[in-house]
Amino acid sequence: MLTIEKTHESPNWILKLTGEIDASNSVNVDSAIQELLKSGAENLLVDCTDLEYISSAGLGVFMSYLEEFQEKNIGMVIFGLKDKVFQVFHILGLDQLIRIKPDKSAALAS
Amino acid sequence: MFNLPRLNIGKVSLLLAILTWLSLLFVDITRIFQFVNGMAPSMSPEISYTLEILFFILVYVFYNDSLQKNENTDFLNMIWRGASTGLLALIVAFGVNMFYKMLGETRLAQDPLLSNFFYHVIFALVSIFLISNALLWRHLILYQKTKKVVQQWQAFEVLLLVSMFFVYINGNVMDYSFLFGLVFLGIFSATLSINLKWIPYLTFKEKWKSILFLSIIIASTSYLLLELLSYSDSDIAFVNLTDSLFLMGLSTFVFLYALSSFLVTLFNLPTSSVFEQKLVEAINFQRLSQSIKPGQDENQVLDILVDSSMSASYADAGWLEMVESGNEKQILHERFIDAQIRTEITELIERTKPFSDFSWSDSDNLSKKYLGKLRHPIYQSAFIVPLVVNQQTIGRLILAKEVKDGFNKEMVNIITTFVGQACISVENYRLLSDAIRTERYKEELKIAQRVQRSLLPRVLHHDETFDICGFSQAADEVGGDYYETKELDKGQYAIIIGDVSGKGTSAAFNMSQMKGIFHSLVQTNPNPTEFIEKANVALGRCLEKNHFITTTYCHLDTNRKEIRYCRAGHCPTLYYNAKSENAEYLSSDGLGLGILRNSQYGRYIHESSIGYGPGDIFLMYTDGIIEAKNKMGVEFGYERLKSVLKDSHRLAAAEIQQYIISQVFDFVGETGIPDDDFTMMVIKFHS
Repeated sequence: MLTIEKTHESPNWILKLTGEIDASNSVNVDSAIQELLKSGAENLLVDCTDLEYISSAGLGVFMSYLEEFQEKNIGMVIFGLKDKVFQVFHILGLDQLIRIKPDKSAALAS
Repeated sequence: MFNLPRLNIGKVSLLLAILTWLSLLFVDITRIFQFVNGMAPSMSPEISYTLEILFFILVYVFYNDSLQKNENTDFLNMIWRGASTGLLALIVAFGVNMFYKMLGETRLAQDPLLSNFFYHVIFALVSIFLISNALLWRHLILYQKTKKVVQQWQAFEVLLLVSMFFVYINGNVMDYSFLFGLVFLGIFSATLSINLKWIPYLTFKEKWKSILFLSIIIASTSYLLLELLSYSDSDIAFVNLTDSLFLMGLSTFVFLYALSSFLVTLFNLPTSSVFEQKLVEAINFQRLSQSIKPGQDENQVLDILVDSSMSASYADAGWLEMVESGNEKQILHERFIDAQIRTEITELIERTKPFSDFSWSDSDNLSKKYLGKLRHPIYQSAFIVPLVVNQQTIGRLILAKEVKDGFNKEMVNIITTFVGQACISVENYRLLSDAIRTERYKEELKIAQRVQRSLLPRVLHHDETFDICGFSQAADEVGGDYYETKELDKGQYAIIIGDVSGKGTSAAFNMSQMKGIFHSLVQTNPNPTEFIEKANVALGRCLEKNHFITTTYCHLDTNRKEIRYCRAGHCPTLYYNAKSENAEYLSSDGLGLGILRNSQYGRYIHESSIGYGPGDIFLMYTDGIIEAKNKMGVEFGYERLKSVLKDSHRLAAAEIQQYIISQVFDFVGETGIPDDDFTMMVIKFHS
């Protein structure tokens, strides 16, 4: 199960992910990001405080935007990762490419 | 012993009947001879009566046998048989009369022998005609029989049998007892004559024919009856055979049944088309429910549906509008209408109540039908029924007539039933084809599974200094995990383990690409850094944007007892050190293949090396093992894997692998389903 909430706290867009991201619902995360991009989001904060699990397909979604964000100068920060979920990012090496912060205030400060 | 030839009842009874008739004739001729010559009569009338009864019974046996042999002849044939016998008797009787008219007052006309001979001939023919006809009537009466009718008929046969013996008491003289018997038989015959269930099954043409045949039978019966009565007034016969109660009763029965059949058939003529129509509808209904056989498709069902509905309602035009993929409407099976008028009517329907109430998206269309008037120069009324399969409207049947209010309640009912049946057939057909398709996919997946299994190595390269074994299990039929070894040189081995992001078929395709890349790159004997860098470039060109592959590539040198490795985002290898009796994860930095597809990737590659000693173990695995969950949702995890390896470090490589697998399965429990592909490779060094 995965729920996605989008909130706008100017100038940031916050994408809150609750539950688990697996192969079947990773497309929902992708379309949520697409929508935010269409509505002109330039600063994207991904709130993973309540994210319990992420599969490789879910990681693939974040990975696929790396180049596009770099080109368009869009900032993305992931914050509030649980230890277990952070490990997944870390082992894959994504933490070297995505800014990952412990909490929202740290994410806002960056 | 000799075998008795099987008794042919038909032939024997025929022969006996002829003999009986001849003896009857002989007895009478003897009687006349004695009378003419003034001798005392030696033949009592009882002899004639007995022979007469015998003759009746033999004729009955003969016809009974012959009818049973032709059990399946249709009604019309049967009536024709009766009519032809009647016709023959009629012609002979008529001929005899003519013959006597021609003779006039000659001596021959007065000859008692000749007239007696003719009397016997006519007697025989009349008996044959009446008995055979009565047996034919029995067949018709007992058509769709009930127990009551059968009992009634059996009682009638017994009565007729009794009436044969009446002659002994009465001596064929018309008296009150005779009249009483005749009236009784007549009433019985009349009650039997209401059993006419066969008539409605005749078609219009057959009814006309049967009316003709029945009138022949009526005419023959009446004429012969009159003929027989005329004999009773004359003094030709010394012993009157024909005034028997049996013959009179029988002729009454034959006459009454023929008359009632004649009248009922006549009155049935105007309604026979309705009956035929109903029969056609029943047959159509059956065709609809049976219509989809292997090799046929729903188009044929729809074809039959339009045909049946049009014939049931005498519609002047009809067609089907079926929903195609993407809400396009397709017109099928147009009957008696051209495209232009059809378009006119379709447009008219959209504007006319109640047809405009029709909605394709309505989920309740199953119970709906639309009947109403049309304001069109040609067609005045229309009827629309939606075709609903599985709560979805798949189309609609449109029928139009040139008259106002052309569809009555019965037509509406039968057409709705036809449509319902056709929808069931279509649904069954679709379910069946879906099942077949699913079955085919399953087969295809099995093939894919076999192919993929063959992509994983059965034997891993090694020498006497170390043991290696691998295991892989996919969550679905096919998976994205990969492992392989290659001997690069003596004592030099390439070892790889990989995990493709996602799972199932797409992962399996990428896994096979990884295998191809491994085999082409190891040709050049690359060091781990080169391998990872080149693999990233190659995969960057063929992986989808959101896919990546994690891998650990090792270069094992048994001479230097050293492993150099690169971890590209893969789960860190678990290394057991026999000397320190400790296990640890070799977590160097790295980035999954395909995550960065430009030259920057090189910055994230870190090559490490580790020396090993005897008893050391290298455990490479995929995240399926770490993330295997038990019922409580707890993951197997890194710590548990580490302690499991520590527990089993004394075992040989294959046993360690078995132990870990069983520990993971025990942890997950029986109810747990593997959520991800899981794979491992165990390397144990001997020296």
